[in-house]
Amino acid sequence: MNTPHQLAEVLTSLRIGNQSFLITFYEENRDLFARWARRQHQLAAPSSHELLRTVLVEFYDQVADGRLTKLPPDLRAYVYGMADEQVRAARTTEVLPVVEAGRRQRLLMLFRQQGLDCQKILMYFYFRGYNFEKVAGKMGFANANVARIQKSGCLRKLYELRLRTEAAVG
Amino acid sequence: MTLPASDLRPYLEELERFADGQMSAPEQEAFEVRLEQDAELYQAYQAYEQLSADLRWVAGHETLYQRLLALDRRLDQRQEALSRIKRRQRKVQRQWGVVAAVGVAVLLAAWWFLLRPAAPNTEAAWTRYYVPEVGLTDEVVRESRRPLLAEAMQQYRAGHYTPALYTLRRIPNSTIGQDTITYYNGIFLLSQNDPEQIKAAQPFLRRVAMQSGSRLAGRARYHLGMAYWRNQQITAARNTLRSVANDARNPYQEAARQVLSSEALPQE
Repeated sequence: MNTPHQLAEVLTSLRIGNQSFLITFYEENRDLFARWARRQHQLAAPSSHELLRTVLVEFYDQVADGRLTKLPPDLRAYVYGMADEQVRAARTTEVLPVVEAGRRQRLLMLFRQQGLDCQKILMYFYFRGYNFEKVAGKMGFANANVARIQKSGCLRKLYELRLRTEAAVG
Repeated sequence: MTLPASDLRPYLEELERFADGQMSAPEQEAFEVRLEQDAELYQAYQAYEQLSADLRWVAGHETLYQRLLALDRRLDQRQEALSRIKRRQRKVQRQWGVVAAVGVAVLLAAWWFLLRPAAPNTEAAWTRYYVPEVGLTDEVVRESRRPLLAEAMQQYRAGHYTPALYTLRRIPNSTIGQDTITYYNGIFLLSQNDPEQIKAAQPFLRRVAMQSGSRLAGRARYHLGMAYWRNQQITAARNTLRSVANDARNPYQEAARQVLSSEALPQE
């Protein structure tokens, strides 16, 4: 497992977008977690895997949002606790009211409605921090200018979709 | 803090070019001046910054989500492959297990067969130690003169003991010595390998064995001794065979010695 020094650096590296810690955590703990979830919540393997993914993404969101500023002393216990909460919440309230969902969650839903290419370009640019040349390389575009135009188009589409959705909600 | 929703569209391209560092130095300077003076532009700029921040969050969230999903698929595939390999290994192990079990069973059977307690098997010992009478040769018989004797001998040599016996009994006494007929009566009965017939053979053989003048007496004694043994009359068998073994002129001396020295004839 990780040394205390490495653990201390986890939050910092997560904040700067290095997700490898969570990827490794998932790889190492997936089966263990699935056994726990089957015993605790009678979840089948695929559902428990999905639950762990959801919890890890939520953990990442907490770090990225600044809601979590200190790494819990026992990360596994913390993650299991989050999973527990998640299952209980899902059992008590089927679907959260739309108004309760935050602005970012709404944007996330709209993001998922975009085409796969647009999702990739925006992820490369806004999360990975690739420059247009690298985006062009990754996406197979002729040059950086094409990548810039494509990214611009995707951003505009997403923005316009958000405008339309907000207008429709009122 | 939520800014009033302002329509970014008129400014979007410009804001993007500024944010992405695509403006030339004079362009950027001019844009910065406008930002300070134009309230609407400034508001649009702030809304754009918020959108970018939200988008960075969304992109990070989605990247992790998709990476975990891809990893999950990879782990599933790996697990599936591992369990396939395990299933195959178990199958091979089972096959080898069956082969090994059959091998062990064969070995055990062979071991048992070789080392089984040597049960007194009279039949096998009889076949091993009994030296059968060869019968009279054609020269001795002289077929033209004694056709029935020749026929009896042929039947005896062919293993047809009962017909040989009947033929023998049809031979008139005048053509052949009485001791010879008695002797072969005993031999043919003994050869039938039946307890009753072996018992019936004994008086014939005994009568010849007692005739010290007969050339067949010594041979009759050997077959009599063997007949006793075959009928489990051990004492009589041993004594009779001992006298054969001590008789240097007896053609069966060596055969008798072998039976006596073997375990087939239990000691008293």
